[in-house]
Amino acid sequence: MGMIEDFKLLEKYGFKLLPYALARDIDEAAAIAKKLKYPVVLKVVSPEITHKTDFGGVKINIKNEETLRLAYKDIIDGAKGKKIDGILVQKMARKGVELIIGGKKDDQFGHMIVLGLGGIYVEVFRDITARICPINAEDVDDMVSELKSNPLIMGARGNKPINIDALKEILFKVCRFQSEEDIKELDLNPVVFNDEGCDIIDVRFSK
Amino acid sequence: MKNRKLRNLDKIFHPKAIAVIGASTVPNKLGYVLMKNLIGNGFQGKIYPVNLKYRKVMGLDCYPSVLEIKERIDCAIIATPAQTVTQILKECAQKKISGAIVLSGGFGEVGHQDYEGEMKKIAEENDMAIIGPNCLGVINPYSRVDSIFLPMYKLERPQAGGISFITQSGAVGTCGIDLAAKYGLGISKFISYGNATVTNECDFLEYLLHDKRTEQIVLYIEGTKDGKRLLEMMTKVNREKPIIALKAGRYGGALNAAKSHTGNLAGNYLAYKAAFRQAKVIEAENLEELFDFVKIFNQPLPKGNRMMIITNGGGLGVMTADAIEENGMKLAEMELKTKEKIKEITPEYGSIGNPLDMTADASVDRYRESIEACLNDENIDGIFIDVLFQTPTMNEDILDVLNFASEDRRKPIVVTAVGGSFTEGYRKVLESSGVPTYGTPSEAVKAMRKMVDYSLKSKCRKCLIK
Repeated sequence: MGMIEDFKLLEKYGFKLLPYALARDIDEAAAIAKKLKYPVVLKVVSPEITHKTDFGGVKINIKNEETLRLAYKDIIDGAKGKKIDGILVQKMARKGVELIIGGKKDDQFGHMIVLGLGGIYVEVFRDITARICPINAEDVDDMVSELKSNPLIMGARGNKPINIDALKEILFKVCRFQSEEDIKELDLNPVVFNDEGCDIIDVRFSK
Repeated sequence: MKNRKLRNLDKIFHPKAIAVIGASTVPNKLGYVLMKNLIGNGFQGKIYPVNLKYRKVMGLDCYPSVLEIKERIDCAIIATPAQTVTQILKECAQKKISGAIVLSGGFGEVGHQDYEGEMKKIAEENDMAIIGPNCLGVINPYSRVDSIFLPMYKLERPQAGGISFITQSGAVGTCGIDLAAKYGLGISKFISYGNATVTNECDFLEYLLHDKRTEQIVLYIEGTKDGKRLLEMMTKVNREKPIIALKAGRYGGALNAAKSHTGNLAGNYLAYKAAFRQAKVIEAENLEELFDFVKIFNQPLPKGNRMMIITNGGGLGVMTADAIEENGMKLAEMELKTKEKIKEITPEYGSIGNPLDMTADASVDRYRESIEACLNDENIDGIFIDVLFQTPTMNEDILDVLNFASEDRRKPIVVTAVGGSFTEGYRKVLESSGVPTYGTPSEAVKAMRKMVDYSLKSKCRKCLIK
């Protein structure tokens, strides 16, 4: 399934994604970026590329049109020879604590939900905890307290604690999404949280 | 008992008459040991050996089939080869026996799912509760039912008490019984359920929920067939009686070929861990922890996490204090009246703080009075008593003091006694009288932390009455 279809399906379940649009050419990309307001992110959308970063297929924190045009060309060059559906232009995410929210269908227990320290070190630190779906607010509080990264979530180094209500909302939605769509595996990684809310940066799931 | 399945199970634990199918006169045969244990253990009901080959087994009349027995039979213990079991169960059903234990192996575990299918069908059609196959069966020290086919001289049987064991593995069950006996723990029901064809861990949890003699439950599990029901049942039962769970087979479950991070990280064990946490059951990582946790749960539940340390060995107290903070609990701040009371009995070089170091010349009386003062203190939720039995002023009377404190039941107390064979001797005496006693501060503290968690988080009925 393509990225755009994935996004659309998630939106159907009420996940709030960062504003995005698919650009077919460089001018369209510039127009979209202007509309979304800088900074933005560019991501290659291709059925032949699963690891987008390996091909230089993701460019982040683009602050103006000049950089956008250069970045666009870089992506097209990197993906040479691959079939490309277009370039996704998306609003740049907020800064904050990067968490992974995952889902998986277990043979015995059914759908479970995983919360952990997200980003690129997910599999290095393996700081994760899980529950069986459905979950309640108390389960989320317990999960947060079980993580070694708990101090980050509760606001380390002068930062405010993350918005726990936003976390609860997204975890509840993931449980519902998994069971209604009968998802096999799912990653929202990372989801960036601050005191106001969260932004989902990358999505991957399979049925 | 509400439903028929539970009533039938109850027949297995409290039978008036048992048929032992495959009873034998040949020493070391399973059917021989079984008979010997049932008789030797003092089972009060009637025992009917069944075997075509014999007319008498151990002085009792032996029958060729259960159908030849005139009297009513409540429970059949079956120890014959797998291929004979279906026919035997059919006869049991005809005889209207409502409960059976199938000890024999040679079923699904070696590819004979068909035998298990037949067993299931017979159970359903005739409303029978069947435990097993491929298991050790049950012990009920109250009714003296004992289907464990291991000789008593090799495997000690625990005394009667309030702990019930549910175990999938017979081997771990064997160790569990032996260790429970060694630690002086009293058991209510022991259930080794093997292949779980007709009754599984969920049924036993439900049964034990209603069993008045069961106060806490140990659950050893390798795999479940119905995770959703297990989660539901654990949640329900744990609110009434604490469950201490150990999951084996934790690694190798992750799908290494998974495409997502979650798929890579989340092996099957993560799901069990999630379920344990969701149900608020206490998870033990290994057998040592399992018994460390089991031991403490005979104490009253703590109302909070403020811990007091009383010791005659300064360093021991300090290590306990470290472990308390490491484990997310707090050191209690004594009430003024407690401090004053203790000041009267402590020499000037001792320190009246927490840890309360009564110094190496502390007498048994000083222990008694300090413990009493702390039991009266509203600022203290639990007490660690770290005793150096090795000092000249300690004598056997300290055992009474500790026993008394353990039975006081206003607050949970745990004893830590570090040392060699002399100390171990004292520790054993304490353990066998039910005083939770540990060989190191960290073991004691970890166990207390589990009880604090249970008390504060599980919403158990006892926890809510405060």
